[in-house]
Amino acid sequence: MTPPSARPSEPAAATVGGSAASGSEAPLLDVRDLRYRYPGAPVDALGGLDLTVTAGEFVAVVGANGSGKSTLARLLGGLERPAGASLAVACGCDLLSEEGRMAARREVGVLFQNPENQLVAECVEDDVAFGLENLGWAPEAIRARVDEMLERFWLTDLSRREPHLLSGGQKQRTALAGVLAVPRRVLVLDEPTAMLDPAGRAEVLDAVHGLRTGGLAVVYVTQEMDEVVGADRVVALEAGSVVYAGGVGGLFGDVALVRRLGLGLPAAGELALELAAAGRPLASLPLTPDELVTALEGAR
Amino acid sequence: MTDTTHGMTLACRGVSFSYEEARAPIPALRDVGFELGAGRSLALLGASGSGKSTLLQVVKGLDAPEAGEVLLDGSGSADAGYAELRRQVGLVFQTPELQLFAASAREDVAFGPRRLGWPEADVSAAVDEALELVGLPPEQFGGRHPYALSGGEQRRLALAGVLAMRPRLLLLDEPFVSLDPATRRELSRILSRLRAGGVTLVLATHDVDLAWALCDELLVLDAGRVAAAGPWDVGEAGRELLAASRLREPFLVELWRRLGRDPATAPRTTAAAAEALR
Repeated sequence: MTPPSARPSEPAAATVGGSAASGSEAPLLDVRDLRYRYPGAPVDALGGLDLTVTAGEFVAVVGANGSGKSTLARLLGGLERPAGASLAVACGCDLLSEEGRMAARREVGVLFQNPENQLVAECVEDDVAFGLENLGWAPEAIRARVDEMLERFWLTDLSRREPHLLSGGQKQRTALAGVLAVPRRVLVLDEPTAMLDPAGRAEVLDAVHGLRTGGLAVVYVTQEMDEVVGADRVVALEAGSVVYAGGVGGLFGDVALVRRLGLGLPAAGELALELAAAGRPLASLPLTPDELVTALEGAR
Repeated sequence: MTDTTHGMTLACRGVSFSYEEARAPIPALRDVGFELGAGRSLALLGASGSGKSTLLQVVKGLDAPEAGEVLLDGSGSADAGYAELRRQVGLVFQTPELQLFAASAREDVAFGPRRLGWPEADVSAAVDEALELVGLPPEQFGGRHPYALSGGEQRRLALAGVLAMRPRLLLLDEPFVSLDPATRRELSRILSRLRAGGVTLVLATHDVDLAWALCDELLVLDAGRVAAAGPWDVGEAGRELLAASRLREPFLVELWRRLGRDPATAPRTTAAAAEALR
């Protein structure tokens, strides 16, 4: 059950299109007809998936439990071998070759859904330093970077604590600090705020959005519909296939699809639907508390 | 069979607990005291690491408090019958589906009741009832392998494993984490039914909206100490207290306040809110 380590592995040089593949125009993630099947499973966990993500983009991935979100995250990070694809490139690395997957593991930061699977060291600060040590950073540089990450994720007081003595939220923050410590161009985050308190959720979401201005591409898997609202695009999965890819408003505007997929609207949208059912439709579908208040007051 | 129609009362008096670590003990609970009436539901709130999971484990008896005591139906650990009362406390861990192990859903749910030494006919009845209760009808799901179920079905199966032992006090640790919205709504309905059936509930969660929908009272922990206990305070002081504990007020309370309505009248459900705003 324990997945292989997402930590950077030995350098490898399998790239597609040569070393210039990271040019500003080229997508950082580009997969076409990506397929995956778990050993012994009767059907594909992912069947023919297309996804393109460019620098600075924030793409949310949603879907019911078991729809293939975590499988997609692991494939994009080079942690699983695809059953096939007509194209599968992450940061210029070919995910269809063993060498390319090893290289992708260095380039793509992956946060696992369960932080227990990510924590490998004896204490919090060693865990945050792990990826930097593997990259051969100088000890002083590691120290400075680790201290910066500990502070950013409110872990300074816990720096020497053993992972098994951390709460769920503290484990998740440690795993996030370790993934974000290593400079990357692509982050794949699998429910990064699931264990966090509301303030921690807002802070992590802000931090991830802030990284986009530096050109980082983010694939953000979530069950929190409120977190989808600020995404550039949203991809909805059903039984391993993309059934929606486009703007956030387009997904939430298709309520029948949202229900079929086992999803929901942000809280403000759910209330608007109930209001419409009770005989008071609003002029437009609100997705935030601000929009809901405006719509309710404007209609008075 | 155990009477499940009456919830258990719970009281903590001066409960303290520390985790042992090589360098120094880490205090997790400090002088925690509160009372919860039979059939009441309590939202256990607090920042990450504030002691919520530890408190649930101490109430269940998995960890012994180093000071203070946990009273179940008014009885303490020195009283006769305490072991039986403790068996009537059910604890659903964080991501409990990771602990599913049997070859079929039915066998997994039967494990607890069998371990209690119940006659097989009683075990079978309890398993059927529990599977029904969590929306996994035994005729359809009983023979399925737990790993062949979806993540949401696994979560409900793990809950059924605890419900089969007919707890009178049910403790849930972040039961909604990682569930898709539809499964959250389903689990929320299941917990509402349990609550209506008289079970005493303690729900440790970061989800203040689900806590608002499901719980009569709240207990806020801050670094192992009780920061607030009792009915929800939807006023300014309550809002500041939640913010100080890295929480926020429930969406419907915030909405009522922003619409100039009295937050004390904020409805508990979206449907009730729509009815009021219609």
